[in-house]
Amino acid sequence: MPNWSLNGPQIVLIIALIGSLASGLPKGADAHPHVWATVRSEVVFGPENKITGIKQAWTFDEFYSAMAVQGLDANGDGVYTKEELEELAKVNVDSLQEFDYFTFVREAGDESFLPLKGPEDYWVEYGDTVLTLHFTLPLKTPIDPGAKGVTIDVYDPSFFVAFGFAEKNPVTVGGMAPGCTAKVDAPDAESAEAAKALSEAFFSQLGANSNYGSQFAQTALVKCEPR
Amino acid sequence: MRAPVTKILLGFVLALVVTMCAPLASAQTAPAAFGPSAQSQAAPPAFSGPAPHAAPLQAKGPFGSLLTWIAQTQQTMQRKLAATVKDLKSGNALVAGFWLAWGSFVYGIVHAAGPGHGKAIISSYVLANEETVRRGILISFLAAAVQGLMAVALVGVLVIAINGTGFQVNAWVAHLETASYALVFVVGFLLLVSALRRLWRRWTAAGSGHSYDAHAHAHAHAHAHAHAHHHHDHRHEDCEACGHIVDVRDIAGPMSWKKVLAVVFAVGIRPCSGAVLVLIFALAQGLFWAGVAATFAMAFGTAITVSVLATLALGSRQLALAADGQNASWVEAVWTVCAIGGALLVMTIGLLLFLTSLGPARPF
Repeated sequence: MPNWSLNGPQIVLIIALIGSLASGLPKGADAHPHVWATVRSEVVFGPENKITGIKQAWTFDEFYSAMAVQGLDANGDGVYTKEELEELAKVNVDSLQEFDYFTFVREAGDESFLPLKGPEDYWVEYGDTVLTLHFTLPLKTPIDPGAKGVTIDVYDPSFFVAFGFAEKNPVTVGGMAPGCTAKVDAPDAESAEAAKALSEAFFSQLGANSNYGSQFAQTALVKCEPR
Repeated sequence: MRAPVTKILLGFVLALVVTMCAPLASAQTAPAAFGPSAQSQAAPPAFSGPAPHAAPLQAKGPFGSLLTWIAQTQQTMQRKLAATVKDLKSGNALVAGFWLAWGSFVYGIVHAAGPGHGKAIISSYVLANEETVRRGILISFLAAAVQGLMAVALVGVLVIAINGTGFQVNAWVAHLETASYALVFVVGFLLLVSALRRLWRRWTAAGSGHSYDAHAHAHAHAHAHAHAHHHHDHRHEDCEACGHIVDVRDIAGPMSWKKVLAVVFAVGIRPCSGAVLVLIFALAQGLFWAGVAATFAMAFGTAITVSVLATLALGSRQLALAADGQNASWVEAVWTVCAIGGALLVMTIGLLLFLTSLGPARPF
């Protein structure tokens, strides 16, 4: 029988070899984006300074846009009307349900997400080679953000779609909401939450439910001054 | 023997660095070629009017800046590609054509740097098999070429021939992905079976008093140097050296075109989704040929990245072998770990990706 006893450096090398193999494992389904979306959100307020829903407008990159509208110009006039794109809008919002609309709303500091109802008022528009998907997500229970605030994260956990806020007016306040503000919450690389997100992302990379994209979460913070 | 391998490796790293840096420099000196992005228009006050300009992506966490850089680089390049395709129509077609080819090539390199594109599969495969660096590079290039061809074929048939919709293209890409992952799993399984069978045969041979053990120590050194260039035209003097000793090629199994084509086909039938997007965009702009050119430039870029990684995998195995090349049982242990570990990795990757691809259809 061959001699299988190994010395220290050999064991270290074997471990290093296995480690380098493991690093080649797929990081989730597609941990690099194939679709880019520029996000504009309007936080819709109802009576008593309560958030009733989130109005989203996602503008896609030119490549995805071309792909999405391919074959949908029914009359071939080169113009994509709202009617011609109706099916696309429906398919988009229907399949978004499976992904929680990539929109995660919670009270600042809370772990659990606030439940959302299915999208309303959805449509897509195509112009200047880019496609924009519009829809409104009502909150099941309207909530007063108060001074503590409500955060809205927009991201694709698998990072197939890379969401980024628009440079100008990424989040706005809609409806009558005196004293309420909405702004982009810039990521803080040092924060404990960010570190936690990363370690979670690291461990979930190997499975189907990759959370890699959470590192790219675009967070909006909505606050209201006490009345 | 290690010298040429090092040279090839160094050459690839250099090429990678140069190609990654060049567009950054050229983008500054030749802004007219790429032109301003169509998306860089002023944002409207509300959700109407022209498309918004995106703020730079930012990632959190300790590696945030690196991830941010990778994501932003990809986004910038993708926009430049789109702008370049448009320039082909309006601007100087020759200049734009050059930038399109160059931009696609670099985009391919960077795009493949993220997971996917069979990097992990091909790296594990070459690790499990007794592949030379040249074989590793060959497999990488063949797989990338097949992926490119599949993208052109898919768009050619579905979009040009039958004017299908984006949904249909997406659905086909998804089907082919699932098929590809299933095949990858099968390839991994076959690798594992053949590795285990060979190992079993060797163990039973060793048990029956086969005398190779005595020779092993004398020739192990010569052997450790021989793996780097095992292929069909295997030189005779190497065989003399390794003929008597632990023949590690027994563990890995011989190199064969059948196996190479199996892995190339398994990885390659899944069209590169980036290429499909470029093709459809180019087609929408009435410039399908530009999309085809971009697809192959891109495939060339991804092939280089995959080659580098496969070469690195082989290099680390070589390093492990060299750690104690005099010791036959060490050499054998490394080969066994590589053969079985690599096969298991190919299987695992195939299975994970296969299961993931069965998940809900992507909205976009």
